[in-house]
Amino acid sequence: MRDYFLRRLLLIPPTLLGVTIIVFAITRLVPGGPLERAIMETQQMSQAGGGQMAGQGMAISDEQLEALKEYYGFDKPILQSYAEWLGKVVTGDLGSSYRYNEPVWDVIKERFPVSVYYGVVTLILTYVVCIPLGILKAIRHRTFVDNLSSLLIFVGYAIPGYALGSLLILFFAVRLEWFPMGGFVSFNYGELSTMEKALDLINHSLLPLICYLVGSFALVTLLLKNHLMDNLAADYIRTAVAKGVSFRKSVTRHAMRNSLIPIATTFGQNITLLVGGSFLIETIFDIDGFGLLGLSSILDRDYPVVMGVVLLASLLLLIGNIISDVLVALVDPRIRFS
Amino acid sequence: MLNLNPQTLKKLRRFRQIKRGYYSFLILAGLMVLLAFGELLINSRALVVSYEGELYFPTYTAFHPGTDFGLDYDYEVNYRDLKEKFAADGSGNWLLMPLVPYNAFENHAPGGIFTPLAPNAAQQHYLGTDTTSRDILARLFYGTRIALIFSIGFMLSVYLIGIAIGCSMGYFGGVFDLLFQRLIEIWSNVPFLYMVIIIFSVIPAAFSVPTRIAILLAVMVLFSWTGMTYYMRTETYKEKARDYVAAARVIGASDSRIIFKHILPNVLSTLVTFMPFTIVGAVSAITALDFLGFGLPPPTPSLGELLKQGTANLRTAPWIVISAFGTLVALLTLVTFVGEAVRESFDPKTYSIYR
Repeated sequence: MRDYFLRRLLLIPPTLLGVTIIVFAITRLVPGGPLERAIMETQQMSQAGGGQMAGQGMAISDEQLEALKEYYGFDKPILQSYAEWLGKVVTGDLGSSYRYNEPVWDVIKERFPVSVYYGVVTLILTYVVCIPLGILKAIRHRTFVDNLSSLLIFVGYAIPGYALGSLLILFFAVRLEWFPMGGFVSFNYGELSTMEKALDLINHSLLPLICYLVGSFALVTLLLKNHLMDNLAADYIRTAVAKGVSFRKSVTRHAMRNSLIPIATTFGQNITLLVGGSFLIETIFDIDGFGLLGLSSILDRDYPVVMGVVLLASLLLLIGNIISDVLVALVDPRIRFS
Repeated sequence: MLNLNPQTLKKLRRFRQIKRGYYSFLILAGLMVLLAFGELLINSRALVVSYEGELYFPTYTAFHPGTDFGLDYDYEVNYRDLKEKFAADGSGNWLLMPLVPYNAFENHAPGGIFTPLAPNAAQQHYLGTDTTSRDILARLFYGTRIALIFSIGFMLSVYLIGIAIGCSMGYFGGVFDLLFQRLIEIWSNVPFLYMVIIIFSVIPAAFSVPTRIAILLAVMVLFSWTGMTYYMRTETYKEKARDYVAAARVIGASDSRIIFKHILPNVLSTLVTFMPFTIVGAVSAITALDFLGFGLPPPTPSLGELLKQGTANLRTAPWIVISAFGTLVALLTLVTFVGEAVRESFDPKTYSIYR
C-alpha cells in the first residue's frame, strides 16, 4: 500500500516534466509569440510617433531585435531555454511576467484566493445538495420526485455555465439591477465593516455560484443514487433487515458507507475546480481568478505566466488523483492497490 | 434487412420504454431531417420561380444572374425583391419563397444601417437580427447544423483513435501498455482549451473556411482522444481474460480476428453509452471556443458567436442572447436525455429493496 502511493508520488515529476515540455515546445514553435507582438507594437508606436520619418521608423534595428530576443529568452535554442526555465523552477523561481513585470508566482498568488473561494463553496454546496438528493432519489426510485429531479438535473447538466451566466446578468443585473454586473467585490470593499463585507461578497458571488453549480449536481447525485440502489438490493442489506435493523438504519449505517466510495474517487478531481475554476465563468463575471489569468496570459502571449499556470494546474490535478485513491483506501479497507 | 441479435433487440425495446429518452431521440431525429433539408426552409433563394411560363428551382442549383429573370443586373438575383417586382407587374410570373427568406450570411438592414433588429414577423425576421443585421433564426439553424456535423466528425475521429490505441493497450499489455499509459497521462494533462487557443490563433486567416474548420477539428481531436482509451483499455483487459477469448485462441484465431470479431462487439455497449456525452462535450467545447473567438472561423454561423454578440449587447439586444441560449440548452438537453436513456437501457438493473 505505502509502496503503491510512493510510486505514484514518484511518477509526478516525470509527468510534470512531460507536460511542461509539450506546452513549452508549443509556445515556442507557434508563431505570433511575445517577440512578434513586441516588434509589432514598436512598429506601431514609431509609425504613430514619427510622422515625417515614416520609412525609417518602420524597421527595428538589429541590436534592438537582439535585445528583445534576449529579454524574452528567444535567443537560445528550445532545449537550452527549457533547461534554464526548469532550473529556475526547481529553485522556486517561475520567472517574471512580461505583462505585469512581476514575478509569476506573485501574479498567481494574488488570484489564488478568489478561485479557491469559489471552488470551496461550490464543492461544499455540491455535496450538501447531492448526498441527500441522491438518497432521496434512491429510496423514491421511479416516482414523481425521482423523475422530476432527474429532469432538472439533466437540464442543468446540459446548460453551459457561462451561457447561463450571460442570461443571469441580463435579467438580474441589467434589468432588475438586483446584483452587480461582475467583479469579485466592490471597489470600496476595504472601507466596509465585516458584516457589510460579507454581504458584499455574497451579493457578488451569488450569480457566479449558480453558474458553477448548475452543471455539477448531475454527476455526484446519480453516482450516489445508483450505488445506493445497488447496495440496497444487496444481500447484506437483506440480512440486516431480516435481523431486525430498521430500514432507515440500514440505509444510513450500512448502505451509505459503501455508496460513498465512488464519491470519494471523484473527490480528488474536484481539486482542479478549486484552482482552475472556469475561465469562461470568470470571463463572463469579470472575476479576477486563476482561470481568467490563464486565459488572458495566453491572449497576451505572456508565456512565463502560461507556464506557471500549466505547471501548477497539472501538479494539483496529479495530487488530486492520488488523494482520490488515498480516500478510497481509507473509506473502504477492502480495496488494496498494488 | 438488418440482422440484429436478440440481445440488441431487447436493448432497443428497453430504450423505447424510457419515454423521456425515446421522445428526445425522435425530436432529435426530426431535427436532423429538418437540418439536412434546411435550404428548403430557411434560405434567401426561392423554392420555385415561374417566369415567362417556365419553372425554375434555384434552391440547390447554381445561382441565376439577375438577367435570367428580366432584371438589369448580372449578380445573384435578390428573390425577395423579385417577388415584389412580380407582384407589382401583375404579369402572371410568381415565385415561392421559403418560410424564412434569408440566408445565414446576408446583411439585411431595412433602414440601411447595420443595427440589431428586434423579432418582427412583418419583416420575417422571426427572431430578430444580430449586430450586423443577419437573420438570427437562419444563423441559429445553420450554426446548429455545423455544430452537429462538427461534433459527429469529432466523435468519430476520437473514437477511431481511442479504440485503436485503447484496444491495443489492453490486448497487448506489457511494455506497450506501460509506455502508452505514461504517454497518455502526460498528454491528458496538457490543458486542451489552452492549446487549441494557442494553435488556432495562428492559423492564417488566408486559409479557406473549410480548411480552417478541418484544422480546428484536427487540433481538438489531437488533444482529446485520451479519454476514450481508459475505458477501452480496461474493457479489453476484462474481455481478454474471459474464456471465449481463450477458446478462440486455442482454435487458432489470429490477434486481429479476436480483436475485431470477438472483443470489439462485446465492448460496443460501452462505446454507445459514451457517444451522446461525447457529442454534448464537443458541442459545448466548440461553442465555448466560438464564444472566446477561437472557434469556427467567421463568417461561419455558430451558436457561440451569437452568444458572444448577445453578451456584448445585453442591454440593447437581449433577444440575441435569449435565442442563442435557448437553442444551445434545448439541443444539449435533448442529447443528454438520449444519452441517459441509452445508458439505462444498455445497463439495466432490476432493484429489489427490502424494507
